[in-house]
Order: sequence, then structure tokens, then C-alpha cells
Amino acid sequence: MLEIIIQGVLLSGLYALIAVGFTLIFSVGRVLNLAYGAYIMVAGYIYFYFSQLLGLPPIAGLLLAGILGACMGLLKYNLIVKPLKADHIAVEISTLILAVVLQSAVILCFGNSAKILLPIIPGVIHIGNATVTYNVLVATIASWLILIGLYLFIKRTHVGRAMMAVSMDTKGASISGVDIDKINMITWGISGFLGAIAGVFFASYTQLSPTMWVAPLIIAIAIVIVGGIGSIIGTLVVAHIIGFMEIISVALISPQLRGVFTMLLIILVLVIRPKGLFGREEL
Amino acid sequence: MGLGLRWYHFALWAGFILVMALMPEFVSKGTLRTMIFANFLAIFAISWDVLSGRTGYISFGHPFLIGIGAYTTAILTKRFDVPVEYAIPAAIAMTMVGGTIMFLPALRIKGSYFALVSLAFMELIYQLVQVIRPDLTGGTRGMSGIVTLTRGAANGYYLSFSLMIIVALSMWLLMRTRLGTALSAIAMNEESVKGSGLSPTKLKLFAFMTSAFVAGLGGAFYVHYLGSIAPRALFDINFVFTIIVATLIGGASTIVGPMFGAFFLTFLLEYLRPFLPGAERYLIYGAIALLLYMYQPKGLYHIFMSQLDRFKKSGDDD
Repeated sequence: MLEIIIQGVLLSGLYALIAVGFTLIFSVGRVLNLAYGAYIMVAGYIYFYFSQLLGLPPIAGLLLAGILGACMGLLKYNLIVKPLKADHIAVEISTLILAVVLQSAVILCFGNSAKILLPIIPGVIHIGNATVTYNVLVATIASWLILIGLYLFIKRTHVGRAMMAVSMDTKGASISGVDIDKINMITWGISGFLGAIAGVFFASYTQLSPTMWVAPLIIAIAIVIVGGIGSIIGTLVVAHIIGFMEIISVALISPQLRGVFTMLLIILVLVIRPKGLFGREEL
Repeated sequence: MGLGLRWYHFALWAGFILVMALMPEFVSKGTLRTMIFANFLAIFAISWDVLSGRTGYISFGHPFLIGIGAYTTAILTKRFDVPVEYAIPAAIAMTMVGGTIMFLPALRIKGSYFALVSLAFMELIYQLVQVIRPDLTGGTRGMSGIVTLTRGAANGYYLSFSLMIIVALSMWLLMRTRLGTALSAIAMNEESVKGSGLSPTKLKLFAFMTSAFVAGLGGAFYVHYLGSIAPRALFDINFVFTIIVATLIGGASTIVGPMFGAFFLTFLLEYLRPFLPGAERYLIYGAIALLLYMYQPKGLYHIFMSQLDRFKKSGDDD
């Protein structure tokens, strides 16, 4: 029981970290960034390259991955999302294509086989009879810190409030003197950064492979859909629902059914309550 | 006839069929095998286009339908020794049941949300196939040794091409009817369709059923061509990607577009093989797809047609 709770909390923290960048884009830019999973993967490889092949300290690798992730986000906003602005479906399709392009670029550079990422912080701690690696523990704590930081940033700072305004009503925000384009750029940058950080932790939790981007993308989608648009609290709560659901189904039912309940939850919520559990009244 | 058929329609289709039917006389067996894949991809792309290209309900989970068709006939023929001539119709019927299940969310949601549900459907069946009754589905490894219908590249080519052309022609005719027009109207404005006294629900159901029928047909024959089936290759986001890109490159909402796109992409992939043997080929392939899509979201068919128009107009001016 204790083990389920500990594992659940840890996995949920990781999931929340994965989803938050995706939520941000979906809330502010109103587009689904299907290449988000590919950021996560690419960031894992960037970290692998810098810290394991070049031997830089892990924290430098993490920061570099984050910065390059932010650059990827900005590039994508300027090259793909902006020209296609009016058409959400077109953005989704082109980001899906981009994800496959990034996947094959990674195969070209690093090969097709999976790679094991050394833990960012080595070592384990025993809590009761559960074994927790420092790595996952740090990921969870980092995720909590990032989520709290982001929440404060959005509620307290001028830029954050402008982001919220854009997410609620683009036209209204622009009448009030918010530079929509600048806010979108900032959002894509932050989202890329967060996705990259999440990617490094996720890669060290599982392993690095060119096809690893699908799983985190699906998790991010699930959390955003179930949580609802524009709700960081929703992201946090639903990350825990999904994280615990997975751990419980692995521990009590069958490890193979891990993802099934998540998929059923997405379908159910979308059909019964399309705006999500915590979303604003809209659609 | 009300379909707006002209003599050149018949001439173009007849010429196309003739050229394609003579193909085995001129090209190598390797090329024929590539064309078989292109034919199947064209069927899947047409199936996707009937649903997503026309009605605007973008499906990111089309392998869900194709997979139901493929798995049903594979299980029936391999595990229960059902003859193929019964197994394939059963597979198509099952796929249409699957299409109905996929249709239910479309009653309430659309746009990005529907696209995501369809993706969830695909992931769901991908995981279920491996877990539920692996003695039937073959679990993670899939199945091999499924009855094949044809021997040799030429026969396989004739079968796949006949299927493709039947599907393409019947869809082409169907889309020229008023029903086809109504389906396209759904993508533009569902409310006005309702306002015109038509039932969007029935039209949508029809689109889902037609798409599922074609997907099931294609999936069933595809598995009987390959002789094997594996969940990872089938319920794969790269497969979705290939289907969607083939349709969009060629031109959505046309029948010629998906066919052309399927051939273009399959051959592009094949010609890249000497330079880039592995999955890296998708880099060039995807980059070309992305650039083309950003340049003209309506696809090559549209580019070609507008060039043709311009040519005709400049002819009139002289």
C-alpha cells in the first residue's frame, strides 16, 4: 500500500511535469502541439550527447537541453504555427509531420537502438519497503517546484497575466494592449523549455529511443483533455489521477493494462464532459 | 445523368486503367511489389479522405479501423479455419461496427478534440490486442502464416490494383452525387447543413460507415497479401502519418489526390532506399511533405489544376 502511494506520487509528479508545457500551449495558443512529444525525445538526446558523450556535468546538460528546447519552440512557432495561424487542424497535421521528421533526424544522428541514460543524480533511498531512486525523487521535486513557479508566474507577473488574458479571449487581450505575438512567442519558448526539462527526466526514468515520444505525448494529451483548458491546478490533479490509476492497475490488475484505463478515461471525458474536469465553460 | 460526367472522364479513367493493367509487362518485379504497397496505401488514403478530407472530422486513428479488418480476417482464417471468402466479408462487417464505435464521440465533439479521441482509440486497441486473448491475436508478436491469396508479384499487383480501382471509381462516382456534396458541406458548416433540412448525424454516420467499409476491405486484403500481422507495425503513428500525408500531398477531398499521393510517397521512399537504407528516409520524406503542405495545404492535385486553369486561360487570351 505504502509502495503504491510512493510510486504513484513519484510517477504523477513526472507526468505533471510532462503535461504542463503542453497545457500552456493549448491554453494560450489554442493549438495542439503534436510535436511536443518529439521535444521530449530530442531533449533526452541532447542531454545524452552533452553529458554522456561530451562528459559535461549533468546540470549543464540539463540547462543546455532546456535552452535548446526553448529555441525549438520559438523556431516552430515562427516557421510553422504563425504562417498557418488560422487553421488549427493544419497546425496539428504539420506538427505531427514535424514529429516524424524529428524522430528520423534522431535516428540519423544516434541510430535506431535504445540507449540507457545514466541517472542524473545517482543513488537510492529506502522508504519502508519501497526503493526510490534519487533520480525520480529529484524529478518529482523539480516538477513540484516548476509547477508552483509557473503558477506564481502566471498569477503574479505582468507577462503571466497577459498570457492568461490571451488564453481567455485573444481579441479582448489585444484591445487591452497585449502584444499577442510576443505573448505567443514567450509561451512557445517556455513550453519548449519545460518540455525539454521533462524530457530529460522522462528519458532517465525509462530509456532513450527514437520512438519514445509517443507515450509522453499521449500522457500530455490525456492530462490536458481530462484536466481542461487553461488550468494548471487541473493539470496537477489529473496528473495524479492518471499516475495513480496506472500504478494501481500495474500493481493490482496487470502491468499490460497500464495504458488502457488512461485511454478509456480520455474517451469517456471527451464524450461526457468535453471541456474537461477543470476547464472553463466554453467550446 | 446528373453526375456531370463528360467523355474525357471516361477517357481518362480508361486510359489510366489500361496503362496500369499493362504495367507488369514493362516493369521489374521489384517495382511491381512497390506498386502493390502503393495500391494498398491508396485504398487507406481514400478511406481516410472519405471521412476526414470530406467531413472535416480528422482521424488520427485510422489504423484502428484498418486493424479491426486485418485482425478479424487473420483470426478467423488462422485460428478457426474459416474460408477466406467468408472471413473477408466478416472482417468488413466488424470494421463497420468499429466505425460505429468511432462515430459515437463524433456526435458530441469535433475538430481537435475528435482527432484526439481517434488517436486514443488507436492506442487503446494497440494495447488491448496485446493483452486480451493473446492466444487468438498472437499478443505482442502478432501472427504469421496467414493464408495468402496470390502468388508472385504480378498476381498480387493485379489483385491490389483491381481493388484499388474499384474503390477509387465507386468513391469517385459516389462523391459526384448529391450525397457527396452534402458530406463536403459538413466540413464547412454543420449548422447550415441542418438548416437545409438534412440530418448531419445521418450524413456523418454514412461517412464513417463508408470509410470503415473501405478501411476494412483494404485491411483484410492487405493482411492476406502480407501473410503476417504485428501490432507495432499496424497501430503505429508512422502509419497514420503515411496515410494522412499521402492524402494531403495528393490533395484532400479528391479521389485522384490520395491515389497520386500514395504512389508519389511510396516511390519516393523506394528511391531514397539506396542513399538512406533505414528509417532515416522519413527525414527527407517528412521534410518534403512538410514543405509541400506549408506551401499548398490543398495538395499537388490543386497545384496541377490551377496550373491547368492558367494554361487554359492564357490559351483563351491568344
